[in-house]
Amino acid sequence: MTGSSPEYRPGAYREAAAHSLRETPMVRDSVGSATRTFDSLRAHAYADVESDRWRDWARDVKGHALTHLDQYLEQAERSLVRNGVHVHWAATAEDVHRVIAKVVETHGVRTVVKSKSMLSEELDVNAHLESLGVRPVETDLGEYIIQLLDEPPSHIVGPAIHRSLDDCRVLFHERLGTPLDSEPDELAAAARAALREDFLSADLGISGGNFLAADTGTVALIENEGNIRLTTSVPRVHVALVGIEKVVPRFEDLAGLLQLTARAATGQPIGLFVSLIQGPRTGDEVDGPEEVHVVLVDNGRTTLFEDDVAWEALRCVRCGACLNICPVYRQTGGHAYGWTYSGPIGAIISPGLLGLDRALPLPHASSLCGACTDVCPVRIPIPELLIHWRERTVDEGRNSTAERLGMKAYAGLAERPGAFSAAASALRWTPWRAAGRALPVLSGWVQERDAPSPSPRSFRDLWREGIE
Amino acid sequence: MNTRDQILTAIRAARERRTPVEHPGRFGGWRPVEPPPPLEGFEAMFTQAGGEVVHVSGTVERDDWLRTFLAEFQHLSMGAGVPPGIADLGPTRINPGDEHAADVGVSMARGAIAETGSLMMDARDGRRAQLLPPVLVVLVDRSTVHATVADAFESARGDLSAAIGLHSGPSKSADIGQVMVKGVHGPGRVIAVLA
Ligand code: SF4
Repeated sequence: MTGSSPEYRPGAYREAAAHSLRETPMVRDSVGSATRTFDSLRAHAYADVESDRWRDWARDVKGHALTHLDQYLEQAERSLVRNGVHVHWAATAEDVHRVIAKVVETHGVRTVVKSKSMLSEELDVNAHLESLGVRPVETDLGEYIIQLLDEPPSHIVGPAIHRSLDDCRVLFHERLGTPLDSEPDELAAAARAALREDFLSADLGISGGNFLAADTGTVALIENEGNIRLTTSVPRVHVALVGIEKVVPRFEDLAGLLQLTARAATGQPIGLFVSLIQGPRTGDEVDGPEEVHVVLVDNGRTTLFEDDVAWEALRCVRCGACLNICPVYRQTGGHAYGWTYSGPIGAIISPGLLGLDRALPLPHASSLCGACTDVCPVRIPIPELLIHWRERTVDEGRNSTAERLGMKAYAGLAERPGAFSAAASALRWTPWRAAGRALPVLSGWVQERDAPSPSPRSFRDLWREGIE
Repeated sequence: MNTRDQILTAIRAARERRTPVEHPGRFGGWRPVEPPPPLEGFEAMFTQAGGEVVHVSGTVERDDWLRTFLAEFQHLSMGAGVPPGIADLGPTRINPGDEHAADVGVSMARGAIAETGSLMMDARDGRRAQLLPPVLVVLVDRSTVHATVADAFESARGDLSAAIGLHSGPSKSADIGQVMVKGVHGPGRVIAVLA
């Protein structure tokens, strides 16, 4: 966010969304094109397999893991310790910072290579490293771009999708001295050369973790560039930050989860590189880190787990499919949401992780069209969870009177699917500005737009037919 | 109470209100059409992702192919499991630890997977050699090609090294203006030699 941009926090969503549409229309173009591509690749990849069965299976593996979460976390801890891994438990970001500070001090760390991790973004790890006098280097190309721009990620899979090729040309020209008319492969080569030096000199690699298999203590990571493999292989110490909801029972469960996550995220059969990390280098290995730490991070996840409705959001595998198909996300990209997790998944986990007060009005940043839930690989009922948070907002008296009345009516309708779809159809024929009032959160950006002509069929219908 | 116990206690309290979900069992890889035999399947998937596949009938043909292929390179890094004779086939072998100076690498796969077109790379063979050279040749014993990821993982679970990498094609990224580029961090060219 630049210049006079609104603050980067969920509470500024309306202003930020309006600002984005008014001041940076090219963001909508970049985000729209990237998300449409991601989504069409996903649709093809789902069609190649019996994706309904895959998704039922994945929903149940994650559901099983969560409904036995304490047991699997304890088992994972035992397995990791047996493999020679240092295991840490962190309730808050500060706990994580303490673990990192200790590793930095013990090993005299000056440079850290990092692989893309939304958890690291959530925990503000880079700012912490800088406060310790350590240089954090983001090595995923998208993360590298936004680190150079000093911006947060705008998408959980493609952190720099809001930036065009021309933006990158100017940035790389200024920072790496490449010609302004460089082709993308020349820009990538320049980044590779700069980052290669950092890989070879860094003392510490910090990664996230897509999954943690409890029985073997395996941290599984998915990527396409090879930077995660390098981050976890070349420096002499590796720290993996893993959310407590990432644990799954068995090593074999990874077989389905790795494939489904890749299909949902980018339409690939599997990420081009998968790392299955058991622990530090052993006696018969020629290289690899001598020390591996796994930090099991709560940071609000138990609060989300305690919510009898919203806990289902913990099944999320962070594939980004719900962002790619969301008509609201596509308008603004992720920055307007003001936090690490944007789009539909951001709207349902932020109230749990940050607290409802800080997360408002994100649960309202949706038209409840339901397209997100149709694509979610772990079948999270996203609209139900959005309505749940809206109801809690109303019940706890946190919203304005006008919104309260609007949302009560809206939530009431949404609880009765027949009435809801009738009302939704009616809304499609309502003048846009009036619809903006009916859907309070949309009013912020509706005010900034000309009224579009109503579509004769709903977004959801169109999407189903693949015409979107 | 320490942090660990606090987290576990909070989870246990909430879990009492959750209806337990049963584990759904083994992932079946369900598909509408019957997959091809493993070797064909591997080749189709690996090449679709930009990898290259070479078939050789045995070690003599393999070494002939390597001699010709390696002729255009200067510095070779070699995995620990690669037959030592390959070091004499052309480029100067660099020392372990200097893999970043190699312009080509030869590694030995512990297996391959048809379902996803993946090579299974083991830490015991050397991780730097698998990742740092811009061009990587991977030797694969065709008897180790598994039909599915689930099969491969079941057979691997009793013998896990510190890290297993699945490599399913050359390194790629579309992060710069959504244009696909190859060879961003890992090898930009990967050739699986099936013997
Ligand atoms: S909520 Fe579902 S679709 Fe969205 S990121 Fe999570 S797993 Fe993917």
